[in-house]
Amino acid sequence: MSVEQQLQSRKIVDSRGSFCPGPLTDLFRAYRQAKQGDIIEVWATDPAAKPDVQSWTAHTGNELVEIVEEKGYTRIAVRVTAKKS
Amino acid sequence: MPKKILVLGAGSGGTKFANLVAQHLSKEIGQGKVSVRLVGERAEHVFQPANLDIAFRGSDPKKALRTEADLINRNVLHTLDGAANISLEERKITLRTKGGLDYDYLVLAPGAVASPETMPGLKEGSLNFHSEPFEAAKIWNAIQSVKKGKILIAIASVPHKCPPSPNEAAFLVDEFLRKRGLRDSVEIKLLTPYPRAYPSQAISDVIQPIFEERGIEVIPFFNADYVDPNAKKIYNMEGESYDYDLLLAVPPHLGAEVVRSSAIGDEEGWIPSDRNTMRMKGHSDVFAIGDATNIPISKSGVVAHLQAVAVAKDIVSEVAGVREIQSYNGRINCPMETGSRRALFVSATYDAPPKRQNPTLLRYIMKK
Repeated sequence: MSVEQQLQSRKIVDSRGSFCPGPLTDLFRAYRQAKQGDIIEVWATDPAAKPDVQSWTAHTGNELVEIVEEKGYTRIAVRVTAKKS
Repeated sequence: MPKKILVLGAGSGGTKFANLVAQHLSKEIGQGKVSVRLVGERAEHVFQPANLDIAFRGSDPKKALRTEADLINRNVLHTLDGAANISLEERKITLRTKGGLDYDYLVLAPGAVASPETMPGLKEGSLNFHSEPFEAAKIWNAIQSVKKGKILIAIASVPHKCPPSPNEAAFLVDEFLRKRGLRDSVEIKLLTPYPRAYPSQAISDVIQPIFEERGIEVIPFFNADYVDPNAKKIYNMEGESYDYDLLLAVPPHLGAEVVRSSAIGDEEGWIPSDRNTMRMKGHSDVFAIGDATNIPISKSGVVAHLQAVAVAKDIVSEVAGVREIQSYNGRINCPMETGSRRALFVSATYDAPPKRQNPTLLRYIMKK
């Protein structure tokens, strides 16, 4: 693992059990604190979370890293690549 | 020694809870077996839903205030003071000026604090209707002189109190300008971090066409970063900006200062709570209700009221000897005015998301 990768952090945002806008609100709170290169991983049971996060990454230029269907919830990982501050 | 029920925060939730418990336990209070004490730092109770009418219809801000002591059951002990520290280990609250209070049950209802000063330039560059009725009145004064230009309504950060209020602000400023015959000279935009006009798709499907019909542009996925008050621009975290002549912003909200300084909440000061029992996580004798919790649900008076009812039943039953754990089911019921004397209600529970509902005159009357 490179030094740069080691400096990047992965933040788990557990929004299971909440419906819209819970997962997005949790994602945006984490995004506000995140640095460029950080990964935010949203765990959601709300089916709207997947298309909403996909739209957000497409709109803002942040990177959608992976979407994984786990047992009973979805893991959605995004890399922060579009923040200017 | 009486069982001490201590309530911190005299907003909608704290006042409702204290009154309910005092009403149900009046006999035990009279016998000296129970005491109910409400601690609040303001002598006035603020009816926050009035802020929209103050901002966009010129209502008198003084009419949104009531003397808190007049609203409290005579069996409630009332302490007018702020809390400086909460020690859950010692089961004690230290007040700013009036010493310490210990408890058997603690109900935390200290609310959320609109904090425009936490975003660079926002306090200087915007007006808001979330912090105080007299701040809302500044919007009414400001819109009197608008003849042309750009008005932005922006959600500066989430979560915030009263989720429908930014939409209502857009509808009501539109209504104000139409009545003055100025609408064609003024651009109105709503900047929201969410993907659509309202977070819930079902509600958004109803109001998006109304926004379009009225020429109000919705800018989605706008996560505000800072405001340049001199250039009159608001920037998002990706570097995009919008110009404004008047910026009406929903400020970032934080948990209460005492929650943050006592380190009993998360990094923003929201209290970790069980979404059904409202018990603070890890503390069976402590409850949190209303805006102060970390539950991903509307921060609104209706929610605080319903949570207060559930917790009151729980504690009353335990004091009376037969414990009945009550469960708050996530019920929200937030009215949203859409202008022209029409309103809808955003109603849901944890298990049932909001359903489509059309704005009607009857629902507007129900809101009023």
